[in-house]
Amino acid sequence: MKTGGRNFLRNLWLSTAATTVMTVTLTIVVLSFISNLTLTSTIKSVTDKIDVSVYLKADITDQEVTDFQYAIKAGGNVAGITYLSKEDALAQFKQKNKNNQATLDALNIAGADTIPASLQIRAIDPKKLDVIAATIALPDNQKYQDPNAPPSYSGGRKSAIDRIVGFSNFFRSAGLIMSFIFVVISILIIFNTIRMAIFTRRDEIEIMKLIGATKWFIRGPFIFEAALYGIIASFIAVGLAYLLLLGGGPKLSSYVDVQSAINLFQSYPLLVIGIELIIGIMIGIFSSLLAMSRYLKL
Amino acid sequence: MILFDRVTKVYPNGSTALSGMNLHIEPKEFVTIVGSSGAGKSTVIKLMTREEVHTSGKIIIGGLDYDTIRPKDVPLVRRRIGVVFQDFKLLPNRRVGENVAFALEVAGARNREIKRAVPKMLQLVGLASKENAFPNELSGGERQRVAIARALIRQPKILIADEPTGNLDPKNAWEIIELLLKINRFGTTVLLTTHNKEIVNALKRRVITINRGRIIRDDEQGRYTLETPSNLKGVK
Repeated sequence: MKTGGRNFLRNLWLSTAATTVMTVTLTIVVLSFISNLTLTSTIKSVTDKIDVSVYLKADITDQEVTDFQYAIKAGGNVAGITYLSKEDALAQFKQKNKNNQATLDALNIAGADTIPASLQIRAIDPKKLDVIAATIALPDNQKYQDPNAPPSYSGGRKSAIDRIVGFSNFFRSAGLIMSFIFVVISILIIFNTIRMAIFTRRDEIEIMKLIGATKWFIRGPFIFEAALYGIIASFIAVGLAYLLLLGGGPKLSSYVDVQSAINLFQSYPLLVIGIELIIGIMIGIFSSLLAMSRYLKL
Repeated sequence: MILFDRVTKVYPNGSTALSGMNLHIEPKEFVTIVGSSGAGKSTVIKLMTREEVHTSGKIIIGGLDYDTIRPKDVPLVRRRIGVVFQDFKLLPNRRVGENVAFALEVAGARNREIKRAVPKMLQLVGLASKENAFPNELSGGERQRVAIARALIRQPKILIADEPTGNLDPKNAWEIIELLLKINRFGTTVLLTTHNKEIVNALKRRVITINRGRIIRDDEQGRYTLETPSNLKGVK
């Protein structure tokens, strides 16, 4: 260990380069993991809210509402249905537009009856709203509906969700590819650093062999040195990622759910550091073993 | 005891370094091996330290049959024999004490043991005051003493000194030889190779002369000569 640490300091430039690349790699790995988590949680929170609103005709009876609900459920892909009466809808509309006096004035002119009662449908699979749409469009089911207000399939929101899903899939793949590329770069740089260390210490290695050092006694310092790059890099990477989250979080929070990622850091700091340490140490050990198998003949 | 029984060493390039060598050295002996460059002295030492493997014949050192050594046993074999080299082979970035301690570290000795043994050994070789110096702050003779201390710290039964005076002036060279004699008096078998005629002649100890991979002379109180004894002339 002492020897490994000494080597680290002796080749300070190379060690710094190796640690820096490893830090970049581990930061990308942790950020890619975080963005994955953030986007997944954002999608979940958005899709949880999704619904299809079907507006009901003005003179609908309670029995008809119940029948219609059964018919919709029978069509499939329905997680739940909420009945929103005219009065509730009006209250909701007023609440939503309480700061918009013009809209409220318009409502007063049009009359309270303007806003119809509705059924709010939440889908099991938000990507398959077509199934619900088809059920609602059946001629038997048309009779319950307000002919002047076509059902709203969460219109704009659906395409927004589609965009987010596409965006997050892209980010997931991009994160994975970037992580992979940087892991390979890290391996190459550490491989080279250890190769140089073997080269500069060849006299020492020869002496060690001659006075009876075992193979693992000679290999040990190189493995420790490479693992040390991983250890130092993991701590820096976790710190860096956390600072980026705290700094960028407020700007991003209106678009994506950053809080869950910050929560992860705050609730399980040891888990995050532990995972990073494992990845960093594994990369280090793997690269050093690779370099030794080629350049350290014992 | 060191025993070479009809030992032959042929290198991969086809050159024969030793051919059917018989050598027998008793415990506590002080033996000097002489011979011109390329005669096979280095090969004898490399076979003993298992840097090279013999092609045929039998080598037995300290009761260990070298035919039974597995690759993973090689470090253990080397720990049984102390070796001193012409170029000292010290670690330049470690202090004198650390260089000596290194031989114990590789053998997995405890810190307490190392701290106890190193000053004693430095005292034996006359370097007690230089424990914290770096090798480049020492004279050639002092460096060789460090190397001897490192070779001896594991208390080997055999000490091989491969041209230990090759890089030293006569005064330092003699001091090293005197140290080797002292070590021999304590009971360690010493095997010395050298080109230094004065030293060999003054030692009046057993001298083995090697030429072209064979022993051509073996005299109990030998002198430095590379000539074949008259009764063996013409024998190949």
